[in-house]
Parts: sequence; structure tokens; C-alpha cells
Amino acid sequence: MNSLLSEIKATFKDNDDFFLMPQNIQGIDIVLMGLTSLIDLPKSIEALEDKFERNSTKKEILMRLNNNGEKKKNIAEISSSVIEGNLLVLVKSKANVVALKPIGKSLSRAVESSENEQVLQGPLVAFTEEVDISIGILRKQLPTANLLVKNYTMGRDINRKLSLLYCEGKASPKLIRAIMDKLDMSQDKEINNIQDLIKVLGLRSRSVVAPFKITELPEEAAQSLLKGKVALFLDNFPFALVLPGVIWDLFILENDRNFTYPLMLAIRLLRMVAIIVSLIVPGLYVALVAVNPEVLQIELALSIAQSREGVPYPAFVEMLFMLIIMEFIIEGSIRLPKSIGPTITMVGGIIIGQAVVEAKLVSNILIIFLAAATIANSTVIGFQNAAFIRLFKYIILILAAIYGVLGVLAGIFLIGAHLASIQVFGISYLSNNLKKEGEKNG
Amino acid sequence: MDKSIQITVFYILTHMGLIFFLYPANIIESTTAAHWIPICIGLFVHILIVIIYLTGLQFFPHKDLVSIYTASGATMTFLFLLPVGVYFLMINIIAVRAYSEIIMIIFLSKTPLWAIMGLLLFSATYLAYKGLKAIFQTGLILAILVLPLILFTIVVSFQNVDWRYIYPIWNDDFSFFNKSVYYKSFFAIGGSFLFLGFVHPVLPYRPKMVLLSVIAILPLFLISVYVPIMTFGQATSSNFLFPYVMTVDAIQLSWLMFNRVTMFFLLGLVIFITLFMALVLWKTARIMHAFLPLRNQGLLVILLAIFIFSCALFISDWKEIEMIFGWNTPLRFYVVFGVPLSVLILGLRQTKGETTP
Amino acid sequence: MIIRKGSFICCLLILLSGCWDNKDINHRLMPVVLGITGEGDQYKAYLQVPRPESDEMGSQVIIEEGHTINQIVNKISVNMESSIDLLHIKVIIVDKELAEKGLSDLITGFMRSRDISSKALIAVSESNLDDLFSKISHYKAPEGSILLDYFEKNAGWEPQIALTRIWQVYRSIHSYTRDVAIPLVGMGDTTFLNHTGSAVIKNGKMVGRISSDETLLYNAFSGHSTNGKIEVLDDASVMILGNQLMTKNKFENDKPYLTTNISFKVMILETKNNPSAEKIKKELDKLLMGRLEGLLEKSQKNKADIFGMGQYFRKEIPRDKLKNWRSNYYLALKLDLNVEVDIQNAGNLKIPSK
Repeated sequence: MNSLLSEIKATFKDNDDFFLMPQNIQGIDIVLMGLTSLIDLPKSIEALEDKFERNSTKKEILMRLNNNGEKKKNIAEISSSVIEGNLLVLVKSKANVVALKPIGKSLSRAVESSENEQVLQGPLVAFTEEVDISIGILRKQLPTANLLVKNYTMGRDINRKLSLLYCEGKASPKLIRAIMDKLDMSQDKEINNIQDLIKVLGLRSRSVVAPFKITELPEEAAQSLLKGKVALFLDNFPFALVLPGVIWDLFILENDRNFTYPLMLAIRLLRMVAIIVSLIVPGLYVALVAVNPEVLQIELALSIAQSREGVPYPAFVEMLFMLIIMEFIIEGSIRLPKSIGPTITMVGGIIIGQAVVEAKLVSNILIIFLAAATIANSTVIGFQNAAFIRLFKYIILILAAIYGVLGVLAGIFLIGAHLASIQVFGISYLSNNLKKEGEKNG
Repeated sequence: MDKSIQITVFYILTHMGLIFFLYPANIIESTTAAHWIPICIGLFVHILIVIIYLTGLQFFPHKDLVSIYTASGATMTFLFLLPVGVYFLMINIIAVRAYSEIIMIIFLSKTPLWAIMGLLLFSATYLAYKGLKAIFQTGLILAILVLPLILFTIVVSFQNVDWRYIYPIWNDDFSFFNKSVYYKSFFAIGGSFLFLGFVHPVLPYRPKMVLLSVIAILPLFLISVYVPIMTFGQATSSNFLFPYVMTVDAIQLSWLMFNRVTMFFLLGLVIFITLFMALVLWKTARIMHAFLPLRNQGLLVILLAIFIFSCALFISDWKEIEMIFGWNTPLRFYVVFGVPLSVLILGLRQTKGETTP
Repeated sequence: MIIRKGSFICCLLILLSGCWDNKDINHRLMPVVLGITGEGDQYKAYLQVPRPESDEMGSQVIIEEGHTINQIVNKISVNMESSIDLLHIKVIIVDKELAEKGLSDLITGFMRSRDISSKALIAVSESNLDDLFSKISHYKAPEGSILLDYFEKNAGWEPQIALTRIWQVYRSIHSYTRDVAIPLVGMGDTTFLNHTGSAVIKNGKMVGRISSDETLLYNAFSGHSTNGKIEVLDDASVMILGNQLMTKNKFENDKPYLTTNISFKVMILETKNNPSAEKIKKELDKLLMGRLEGLLEKSQKNKADIFGMGQYFRKEIPRDKLKNWRSNYYLALKLDLNVEVDIQNAGNLKIPSK
């Protein structure tokens, strides 16, 4: 008996938030154990006493205790139970430990409106860190019995909850089978981040393009499920990972359907154009200025030449230099706290808008192209998607600097080839009819 | 799952790339009047062999050309598969070299040839390495992005047309049959359709849709020859190496931001040709795979690309390209006619063999 | 894959570091006007190069001699701080003497090398090019040269100026049935240029000239609009609003016959002594008719088919005989001309009809 207690003590001896509290309820000697950082102790003890104090015999209390909790035998079970935030009750007379669900400290935030994705005329609620709450939100968004949930606990040492959601009859059984097989196979692998998850799912971990759409909006997730996709929720990651990702995620938002049909088409077309613009404009500028100026009308050629007068380096370096500064500004404005974020915008605006041009470091026409590309890039849906478009434009830029307009088109060709070669569980990144594809390959 | 759209689009794109460069000059050189006669004869041959080919392939719904031939014994393999392989290899060398030269003549006169060839071949190899599905899907993307540009240029190329150059309509002179130039024009006519026999196990398609795309490209053959003739006249356009390119060069659109529409048109076509090269590279690797069963077909693609690049480096001028083009012509006819017919015969024999016992 | 991509990018960077150099737009001289005269068996070329200056567009004229245009360009490139890019040349001005000697080699060279756009306009100068080009840089224009505006269809072009491009001249060199007219210009006294008519080019050689009024009819025949041209008559002046051309052809006894109806729509601007509409119509009719007939006669004498009338007989005359169109058939051509004038309106005031 005492050996178990001392063993527990030894395990947690370096954890100062671990408590051992001898108590006596109705003449039974018990020891309460747990982590103060996870358990609201006074409330929990109060609740415990409420339950057992009144007119109960010793035997009844012990029985209730056993019914309410889970019996834990060996030290490994006990310690993992403590880590999960349970209240452990050791009954001194018997040599057993019972784990109870205590009143926990409120460690997760409330359901709030979305932070990363702005919603215009649509449901504002966003997923939270707590998997169960997120699933609940999704269930409210999609009240159907066909929405099925499968829970996994991943990892041997570090336990992480993972939930798989899909709509029965919509998602292809083969796709679900394939995902479940992968998850079952690697139950003991730890998932600490999305990269781990990609590895567990057996997807190409070196691919630039994210294999899933990451969204915090229940509406997006729900509609995707109805289209036959599958959603994954990872504990403490307040986003739904919608699998498989397809190219349409770049410019199709389910919320668009809350506008009228022509408006929806116009908005989506705009995003498509924007992606192309943000991909090719920097490259095209370099191609036209450095390699194929004969393509420009003479008036335009002369005014570009005039604006470049006195710029000390070639167009490629000029463009690269400004693009990298632009990337710094974007990255910097993410990093900074909200209160000093505007500073970056202001400093960046001054540098890009005025000073660089006046110092004759770059030409002012380049600034226009740069701004067009950056603004266009921000219309892409999803930060990861925008980021890979941002990365791809450098390929086009480099090719354009060597081969001119041919390089721009070759870049598009290579990027197209790369996107066409991506397959997520046998479903091509460019497929537009998920159901048909899924049936065949899934 | 039906992939007819991908096949159709690919068929149109690759033919576009093949038609607009060399074909018009070949036809204009082969006869002085009534160019529609040689064009239509070529088109008729094209439709005929495609129909024969498709009918033949329907006997083998789950086999591609390579497995059809290898299953029919070693004689067939050596009689047909080997020439097809050599033919593809030659096409690839010619395409890489000729189109790099075209790019150099037309707009990148300062860039060294090996760099242009390297770019084209690298792009094609990358795509071929990614496999068949990727090739056809890339075709779809490129169609969406580049095809509107090309169609626009084709439409505006009618800007300087003088319809009276169409006359005379009829010509009794059939001497073009004796000219080797005319047979060179079959590079465009019989260049690309063989892929239909390689894709159907992976990307099934409806033959009707393919015939539709065949019909869709027919006007392009006529446009590519007649627009230069109607702009410059026969006497002038016969001096040009690329008559259609010259015609597009003469387009004057003051409201466009760009001065030279040609560039975008040509580069679009070059990209289509790269797509075509990727497929031919893949097909060559597929055939080689039958003789040399390596574990990784992608490795074969890369080896082939290196081989093609070094071959293309040895060709020093346009004359030599034309010479190899000439050598390739008899082989082309053998392949273009031999393969569809042999597939049809094999198919018929197979059904007979199944029904009689 | 990543390794392969990475090594590819490394290769590109090595390439970038300057195996061949692409020059940026501000290090290229982009001449917009090229003037050429013959000097002995050499060419002398004048290039007008726009020079972006701090707040306006200046320009500079470069003069060099050599055996070929490319040699000249090469010589200039060596001497200049930037390289020369001929691709933006919009107007080519040729000395009259050179035009009379023949332009075939020059034009063929332009078409072959692609250095000069086949869309460039060509004109013949009656004045000395030295004088012309010494004056040209005093006139400033946003496109770099005043000459550009002069010929630009959406700027200073007028219907009595022929608009002929290099490829059209090249076509006329090889074509059996078509010759071209290119504008003739001289130095003006108060204006920069003085339009003096058009040069008739046959097989690359200047064989004659037509006046600027006749060029209007040439343009009408070749399908350009003649909108805006003002015709002055004895009793009135009118503005042409539009024109239409209808032709019918006949080929009998080895002789070509052509019936042509040209109809002009005009608007009356000014009158003298209050003439009737009918009278103005008749007068205009007679004027245009006389002018057309004179023009045809002149071009038949030169054996230069600037109207492209041979085009109408492509169906009837077999190709091997069409080769001799200019020498045989064109001279025998009988033209039945009808000019029809339609007074579309008379402005704000009424006009007596009879």
C-alpha cells in the first residue's frame, strides 16, 4: 500500500504543482492526488464532499467511488491519468486508486469569432482548441445523422487527440478507408504539428503545396464535408484540416454562395485573375524590361526607360530586392503585436512609396508592378496557399530573367506540371469532381 | 472514369503547336495554286488513319500499344514497336532542335542555343517524369491559360487579308505528289495522333470525342496556310520560312498594350510543343521499358532526355535539321500507316481467334 | 525532387551570372526613325533616338555610313555607350534618289533579319536628309519623334497620306498584280513637314509620283477611310464623310474590263453664291471623275498597278499568264468608272435642291 504511494511520490517529486492531500470522508482515509495547475482543488473537494457526505455507509461510498471513476492499477496508468488532469483518489484501506473527473481550471478560450479568416455576411463562429467544442460547432452547422466522428489518440509518450469527421454517403468509402488505415497504422507516432500529421498520413512532406485546406470557419468545413471531403481535428489546433486539398481551394470560398450567383462568379473570376497576376507580374516586368523590350509599345518602353534612368542594377536584381523587402514587411506585420503593427505598415509605405524611388534605387514603375502583385496575392484564400503562390513567383522571376517571356511561360508550364503531379490519396490536386475521382482511386 | 476532355484538349493543343510553324511553308512550297487540294488530301489521310487506329484499339480496351505488340510475339515487336520507338526518339531530337532554332531566329537571338534547348528539354522531362496523368492535366491548365491568347491571335491575323488572293480555286497540277516537301508536311498531319494508343488503359476516352477534336483542328490547317497566302499572296509567302509567323508579325493593333502579338502567340505554341515533347518522351520511355525493364520508368525518361540533348547539340545548322527531317519522312510514313493498320489487323485476328474455337 | 530542383536553380544562377548578357531597357538605344540615303555604293543612315531626360523626352540624331544597315548599326553600337535596338523603329525615310535606284535589297534585308519590325512605315523624302534630321530634334513629342505622330492613324494622319508598311512594299516586290504608293515628304517652311504626294513604287523602285489629292483616291481604292478630307470646288467646299467601293470585273477576248462604282458621302461646309445641291453634286462628280481617270492613265503609263486591279482577275487569268499582268493586261484594261456623290447633309442651314 504505502509502496504505491511512495512510488507515486517518487514519480512526481520534481513537479511542484503535484499535490498529495490526505482526507477523511465518513471515516474513510483517502489521499487525493492531482496537478494543481489543471484542477480547481477547493471546488473539486467541495463537490466530492457534497456527493459522499450525507448519510452514506462506508460501503456505499466505496461503491459509488468505484462507479464514478476508473480504477487504475499500475504506476504508468496512474501517472498518465494525472497528466490528463484527473483527480486521483487513493483509498488507504484498499490498495487501489480511482481516477475521477474533477472540476478543471478553465484553460481554453470561449467560442469566438474567427481571427484568421474574415467573414463577410456569413456565420462568424470559429473553431477552438478544444476538439469536442469544435466538433460540436460543426455538428450545429451540419445537423445530420450522416455526420460521423471517429476519435483517435495518437502518440505513445505525448498523447494527442485526433478526430476524423466525414459525411456518410458523401465521402468515398475508399478515401475514408485509406485515411483510417494510415491512422491505425501509426497510432503510436506522436503528432506535434501539421508536418507530423502529413507524415503520418503518408503524404509528400516536402511538397510546397499543402495537401489540405486549413480553415477555422465551420461553414467552410461543413460544405466541404458535403462535397465528399474529410475533416480532421487535432487537439489544441483550432482549425479543421479538410482533406484532400484541391486547387479550387485557392479561389473558391463556400461563403461566396451567400451572394447572388453572378456576383459569386465575378468574385471567383477576380480571384483567379489575381492569382495569375501575382504569379507572373514580377517575372513579366523583368522579361519585358531586360530581355524582350520590343514587345512593349514605344510610349510605354520610353516611359519605363525614363523611370529606370539612373537605377544602378539590372531589373532582375531590382525586382528581387523589392520583392524580398515586401516579404519582410508581410512577415514583420504578422510577427508584431497588434498595437505596434501599424508602424511597420507606415515605415514600409514610406520606404516603398517614396524613399526608394527618390533615392533612385528602383524605378517607380516597378513599384506599381510590385504593388499589383502583392495586392493580388492577398486575394488568395488561405495563408498557406498565398504563401506557395508567393514562392512560385520566384521561379517565374528567375526564368524570366534568363529567357524573357519564354521563361514566364516555361515557369507557368513547370508550375502547372508540379500542381498536376500532386496527388492526395489518389485524388489529383486539379480534379474538379471529387466524387468521381474518389470512387476510382480513393 | 471518362477523360475525354483531357484527351480532346491535348489533341488540339499538340496539333496547334505542330501546325503553325513548318506546315504552311511546306504546303506553300509544294504547289503554287489551289492549296486546299494538298491540304485536304492530307486531312483525309489524317481522318482515315485516326479512324482505323481507333477502331483497331477498341479491340484492346485494357492494353496499350506496347502490350498489344509484345503480346503478339517477337516479330511484331521488332517489326513495329522498334520503329515506333526510333521514330519517337527522332521526333524528339528534331522537335527540340528545330523549335530552339525557331525561338532563336524569332526572338532570343542573343541567348545561346544550348540554354534554350536545355529549358525546353528540362520542362518536358520534368513533366514526363511525373507521369501520364500529370501530362494531360497540365495540358488542361495550359489550355485554360494560353489558348484564349492563341485564339485571339488567330482571329486578329485576318486583319490584313485580301480575299481575292484565294483565286485560282482549282488547279490541275498534281505535281506536289512528286515533291518531298509535301511529304514533310505530314509531320503535322501524322505527328501526334499515335498517343491515342498509349493512354486508354489509364485515361479512358470516348472515340467519338476524339473524332470531334479531329474535326476541330481541320480549320486550323486551312487557316495556317490560307491566312499568309491571303495576306501576302503566293509569290511572296513562298519566300518565308514561317509564313504564318510573318503574317502575325504584320498585325497592327494600336489599342493593345503590347507591340508584338507574335511573341505571345509563338511562345504559347512553343509551350504546347513542350507538352508534346513531354508526351513523346514518356512514350519513348514506355517503349524502351518493354525492351529494358528497369524498375523505374522515370529513370529512363531522364536518361533519354540526356541522350536527346547530346544528340541535339551535334546538329549544327538548319540545313542539317532539314536533312534529318528528310530522313525521318520514310520512317514516319511507315509508322503512321503501319501502326494503325497492324493494330486493326491484330484486333480482327484476335476476335476471330476468340470466336472460332 | 527538392535536390534536383535545388541543383536546377543553382544552375540557373550560374547562367544568370552572365554567360550572355541581356541589356536592360535603359541601356538600349531605341531609335524610332531611320533615314537612309545612298552615298556611292554605301548607305548613310540617320537614326533618331529618343532620349529620356529628367522631365521630358529629348532626342538625338546619330549618323553613320556603311555598306549594309547592319554594319552601320554595329559601328554605332561600338561608338555609343548603349547598344542599339532597331526593333522599335516605326518610320523609315528614304532619300528620293535611293528610292529611284531601288529599295529591293534594303526591304528584303529588313524582312530577313527581323531586326526591324515589318510593321514600320516607309516614306520618301524629297529634301536632303541631312537637313531634315538636323531639324527633327527641335520638335519634341512624347513618343520621341514628331514623325511618328505625323503617320499615326490615331494622331496626325490624314486621308490624303498613303500609309504603307514595309511588308506591303515587300509584297509588291514579289507580287504579280500589285504595286504600292508611299508618302512623299519634304521640309516645310513653317511646319516641320510638307506632304507633297506619293511615290509610286514598282518592284521596289520609284517610278512616278501622284499628288496628294490622288493619294486620297488611292486610299479610297485600297479600303482606307477617307473621312474628314475637305474638297474645295468652285462653288463650295465639302467634307467627305465616307466612301464605298463596288467593282465588277469581266474578262473577254483576253482583255480585262472593270466596272467600278465609288460612292462618296459628303457634307457641305461653305458655299459661294448659293448654289443648288444638284450643282454641287455635279461639280464634285466631275472633279473626282477627272482626277481618277488621270490617275489611272498615269499609272498605266508607268505600268504600275497601285490600285491592285490585277487582284480582281486572279480568277480569270491563269497564274503563269498573270505574271505578265503589268506588261500585257494592265495596259489593255478598260475601266468604266462611275463616281456617285451623295450629299448626306448640309449642316445647320438649308440648301436649295435645284
